[in-house]
Amino acid sequence: MNLNFFRKAFVFLKRDLLINASYKFAFLFDLGSIIFSVLTFFFVARLFGEKALIYLTNYGGDYFSFVLIGIAFSGYLSTAMNSFCQTISEEQAYGTLEAIILSPTKISTLVICGSIWNFLFTSLRIIVYLILGWLFFGLDLSKINLVSSMIILILTIISFSSLGIISAGLVLVLKRGDPINWLFNGLSRFLGGVYFPISILPLWVQKISLFLPLTHSLEGVRKSLILGTSIKELTPQIFMLSIYILIFLPLGILGFKAAIKRAKKDGSLIYT
Amino acid sequence: MIEVNNITKKFFLPKSLKETLFSPFKKNKEIIALSNVSLKLEQGKILALLGPNGAGKTTFIKILATLILPDSGTAKIFGYDLITQTQQIKSKVGIVLGEEKGFYWRLTGRQNLEFFGILYELPKAKLRKRIADIANLLEIDDLDKPYQTYSTGMKHRFGLARCLIAEPEIIFMDEPTKSLDPKNSHQLRIFIKEKIVRKLGRTIIFTTHQTKEAETLADKIAIMDKGKIRAFGELNEINHRLGLREDAPLEETFLKIMQAEENES
Repeated sequence: MNLNFFRKAFVFLKRDLLINASYKFAFLFDLGSIIFSVLTFFFVARLFGEKALIYLTNYGGDYFSFVLIGIAFSGYLSTAMNSFCQTISEEQAYGTLEAIILSPTKISTLVICGSIWNFLFTSLRIIVYLILGWLFFGLDLSKINLVSSMIILILTIISFSSLGIISAGLVLVLKRGDPINWLFNGLSRFLGGVYFPISILPLWVQKISLFLPLTHSLEGVRKSLILGTSIKELTPQIFMLSIYILIFLPLGILGFKAAIKRAKKDGSLIYT
Repeated sequence: MIEVNNITKKFFLPKSLKETLFSPFKKNKEIIALSNVSLKLEQGKILALLGPNGAGKTTFIKILATLILPDSGTAKIFGYDLITQTQQIKSKVGIVLGEEKGFYWRLTGRQNLEFFGILYELPKAKLRKRIADIANLLEIDDLDKPYQTYSTGMKHRFGLARCLIAEPEIIFMDEPTKSLDPKNSHQLRIFIKEKIVRKLGRTIIFTTHQTKEAETLADKIAIMDKGKIRAFGELNEINHRLGLREDAPLEETFLKIMQAEENES
């Protein structure tokens, strides 16, 4: 990565900010919709009351905190799985892809820089979730371990992005219907512990959920945010997320390069 | 400067649902977009690729611009190989697609040009000066309006402006006057001929359906149909080869070639 990469990253970010800010109401409504989501789960948590306590002792015993963090941070998975291929399809729709490809800008640079805004916006949404929960609904973040949280967060974004790059490559080849997105984005919502702890599932299903990065990511995020768990105690989660990165990042990059070559050959990158 | 030898390109049609279900192993139907296309062009010339829809004109310029890989054949641009030296070729070529889209409509003209200028890795001060010079050259008065508010004619000028930012030696233009009224078409042709080629010394290869446009703008003409070049050269040479009067209009030349082809098939 050289200076030009950072200039390009900045100009992509500026472009996306200007375009999104020009749709002021959509921008505000998107953030505003978080209020309804928070309210819904606040009352769902009330409904469960103390019945959910036995399953939540590892997470501070509060369902609202559990589900709020689950929903907020699983947003990174959706962003990573959709953002990279969306960047290419948006440039195709704008008709700008040819001009970008002809510049000394690699497609990998386009895909990464074009996704920065989406990751930042997801982060902003998470912050809004946490602030609303903390200010109005009793989300207790007094024990937060910032260092552990940041490490888990970085590993989460990179591991999810590795899968997202594989997914983008598959979309380029298959055009529609991406099995990786279905498997990791769809299945993770059910088995990754977003809405309920995986300990509630039958044992054999719990074993499947351990293969999903979201399971380890949410486990680490909840423990570091709610319980203030140290890096040392989060070693299993850090280890599993690192394994994901080591396997899927090189695989994703190689697969994506091959997909671009194939798309250039069959003309599908340019002809839409 | 541009030397193309036997470029061939096929595209495969996607299967229908019926074919996917009942003949999953059958090969997809193919379309031959280009078949053994060869030509040579010198620097500072304007070449028109003239032909009906589906002749392979756009595919040809997109291959030369390194956007699509050919199936077979070779080409050299400024001595660089089209397949193995794409980075060097990219720094020498630019493309203008004859569409209004191709820019971010919510950004201003200047913001769009600055965005692409940074992708071309131009230093900030140099980029600003170049944008001002190009706007002056192409007579773009106001760069700070949202792109969506410019007229169609002005949007075409922005396509040219973006291309010129990178100072390419060769400019590929896909139907440059598409959707322009006669007045704006005429103005754009003058821009291309007088300012881009005569003043800046660039080489232009453009596609068109219009014989009049090819005749008034081009030094050389390649008449294409069904993926093949049917005739190539200066108009009087082509007419001479066809046994027409050397000053016969291009429309007559074009119709004679199409007629001969129909008779063959």
